[in-house]
Amino acid sequence: MVRLIRSSLARIFLALMVFVALTPILWTILGAFKRLKDIVTPVPKLFFSPTLENFVTILQNPSIRQGLGHSVIVVGASVIIGALLGVPAAYSLARHVRTLKGDLQFFVLSLRFMPPVAIAIPFIVLYLDLGLYDTLAGLILVYLVTTISTVIWLSVPAFERVPKEIEEAAAMEGCGPGEIFLKFSLPIAMPSLFGALVFTFVLVWNELLLALTLAAGNATLPVVAASITSLGKEVPWGVINASTVILVIPPLVFIGLLMSFINGMMKPARR
Amino acid sequence: MANIRCVNIRKSYGGHSVIENLNLDIADHEFVVFLGPSGCGKSTMLRMIAGLEDITGGTVSIGDRDVTHLHPGERGVAMVFQSYALYPHMTVEENIAFGLRRQKVPQAEIARRVQHVAGLLGLESFLQRKPKNLSGGQQQRVAMARAMIKTPKLFLFDEPLSNLDAKLRERLRTEIRKMHLDLKTTTIFVTHDQLEAMTIADRIVLMRAGAIEQQGTPSEIFDRPATRFVADFIGSPAMNFRGCVVSRDGGSVSLVAGSIRLEVPASEFDGLQHGAKVEVGLRPSKMDLAAEGDLNAISGKIILVENMGSEAQVIVDVDGQEMSFVTKAFRTLEPGQPVSFSIEPASIHVFSKETGRSLRKAG
Ligand SMILES: Nc1ncnc2c1ncn2[C@@H]1O[C@H](COP(=O)(O)OP(=O)(O)OP(=O)(O)O)[C@@H](O)[C@H]1O
Ligand SMILES: [Mg+2]
Repeated sequence: MVRLIRSSLARIFLALMVFVALTPILWTILGAFKRLKDIVTPVPKLFFSPTLENFVTILQNPSIRQGLGHSVIVVGASVIIGALLGVPAAYSLARHVRTLKGDLQFFVLSLRFMPPVAIAIPFIVLYLDLGLYDTLAGLILVYLVTTISTVIWLSVPAFERVPKEIEEAAAMEGCGPGEIFLKFSLPIAMPSLFGALVFTFVLVWNELLLALTLAAGNATLPVVAASITSLGKEVPWGVINASTVILVIPPLVFIGLLMSFINGMMKPARR
Repeated sequence: MANIRCVNIRKSYGGHSVIENLNLDIADHEFVVFLGPSGCGKSTMLRMIAGLEDITGGTVSIGDRDVTHLHPGERGVAMVFQSYALYPHMTVEENIAFGLRRQKVPQAEIARRVQHVAGLLGLESFLQRKPKNLSGGQQQRVAMARAMIKTPKLFLFDEPLSNLDAKLRERLRTEIRKMHLDLKTTTIFVTHDQLEAMTIADRIVLMRAGAIEQQGTPSEIFDRPATRFVADFIGSPAMNFRGCVVSRDGGSVSLVAGSIRLEVPASEFDGLQHGAKVEVGLRPSKMDLAAEGDLNAISGKIILVENMGSEAQVIVDVDGQEMSFVTKAFRTLEPGQPVSFSIEPASIHVFSKETGRSLRKAG
C-alpha cells in the first residue's frame, strides 16, 4: 500500500516536471496559430480560432525566407564538411596515434576555449582583405573551426569504444584498413557519432554572434529572428512565435532524417 | 591443412623484449596447446602467427610458405577470440557468411556452407538474430562457425572458453576436440587452464617468460616434467616440494629430509652425489595411504581433509611443513589423527636446486 502511494507520488511529480518543462514550448506553438488580439488578452485563451496568418507573414517576408535559406546552406555545408573531415580524423586519433594523442585532443578542444568575439574581430580584418567579408563561404569557413573540432572531440571516444578484436577479426577476413573503417568501425560507432553530429548541428544552427559580425548582409535565421524582436513597440507576438517554430523545425527534421539513416545503416542491405 | 614452422621468433615492445628466439614446429593436423602463466607471451605468439602483431625478428611459415610479412587475411588462418569479436551490426548469418561474401563466392554455395556449419554447431534457429540476443555459449559457437566456414589451413583459438561457466566450458571443449577429429585442421589453442590443456591437446607447449619451457604430449608433461616450474604448474592439487639431502649407501640412494627418507633407483637419475642438496617433488595424486611395510612411507598428523566427492585431498603436517596426498579411503580420516602415506619410486621427481632441471635421465 505504501509502495503504491509512493510510486503514484513519484509519477505525479514526474508529470509535473514534464508539464513545467513543456508548457513554454506548447504555449509558443499555440501562440504561433493565434491572432494578436487572442494573445494580448488579460485572461490567457486556450480555445481560439486558429490561423496560419503568422506563418504566411513570415514565409512571405523575404528577409526571413532568405535567412532560412542561408542558414540551411551555411549550417548544412559546415556540418557535412566537418563530419567528412572530423570523423576520419577522430578515427585515426583513436586507433593509430599513440604518442601525443592527449596533446592533440587537448589542442582540438582548446579551439573551443576562445570566446566568439575574440575569433570574430581578427576574422573581420582578414576577411575584409580577402574579400570574404559578408559572404556565405566566409561564414562556412569560420563555422568549420567549430564543427570539425566538436566532431573530433566527441567522436574519438565513440571509436575507442569499438572493440579492437572486431577490427582484428575483420582483418583476419582479409579487409584492409579502409574497408575495416567503412564496414565495421563506422557503423558500430554510428549511434554515438550521431549524437556528436546532432550536437554540432544545433551548436552552429543557433550561432548568432559570428553570423552577425561576419555576414550581416547575408543574415542567417538567428540574425533575422533577433532583428524581429527589436521591431519597436507594436510587438508582433504571433509572428515571433511562428518564427520560433520555424527556427526549431529544421533541427528536428534533421534529427529524424539521421535517425532513419542510422536505422538503415544498422541493417545492412541483403543482396 | 598445413604444418607451421616458427624460426628464431623475437618480439619486443619498444625496448622491452617479450619473446626471445623461440623455435617451434607444428606438424600437419596437429592440435597444439600453448600453456603458461599469465603474461608469458602465449597471446603474443598466437597473434604473430595470425599476422595481427608485427614480428620483430625471425620467420613464420605456414605450409612451407613464408608468411612473416603477409597481411592476416592472406595467411589462410582463422581465429577465434576470447571476447568472440562478433560483428554487432550484422545477423548471425551475416557474421558467418561475411568472409565468403567478400570473396564473391556464389550465393548458392554460401547458403549451402552456412547451413552446413550451422548444422554442425546447432545454430540453425539463430541465424537471423543479432549477436547481442545470444547467450555466451551461442556467441562462442557463432565465432567458431565464422572461423570454420572459411576452411582455413590453420585454426587459432585465444582462450576461447574462459568467459563461459564450467559446465559449458567442458561441453565446448569436447565439441572443439570432436570438430578437430572430423576436420583435422592444424590447430593452436591458447589457455592458461592446465586441465583444459591436458584434456584437449595432442601436444602441449608450456611457456614461461617468453620461452618454451617444455613441450610434449600431456602425459609426458605430467609424468616427466623437465623442470620444477613445469612440475609445479601442471597437476591439481599442486605437487609437494621438499628440499632433501642425497645419502648414498652402497648401491641404494636415499633422499632425506627430517623424518622423510625416500629410496630411489640410482640408475634412473644423474648427479645424485652423496651429500648433494636437491629438490624432491611428490604428486598428491600419485600417493595414497601406506599399507603395512610399504617402501617410502611418510608419516605425519592430519590437518585437514578436503572432500572432493569420490576422493579427498588430505593435508598433513610432516615435520612442521604441510604436504598433501589424495585418497579414496578418506571417510575414516579425521583431523588430528596420525597418518602414513607412500609413493612409488617411479613417481618421485628430483630437481637440481640450482637450475631447477629434472635430474631424471631421459628416455
Ligand atoms: N601492446 C603491448 N605493449 C607492451 N607490452 C605488451 C603489449 N602487449 C603485450 N605486452 C607484454 O607482453 C607480455 C606477453 O603478453 P601476452 O598477452 O602474450 O601474455 P599471455 O601469455 O597471453 O597472458 P594471458 O594469459 O594473461 O593472456 C606481457 O608481459 C605483456 O605485458
Ligand atoms: Mg593472452
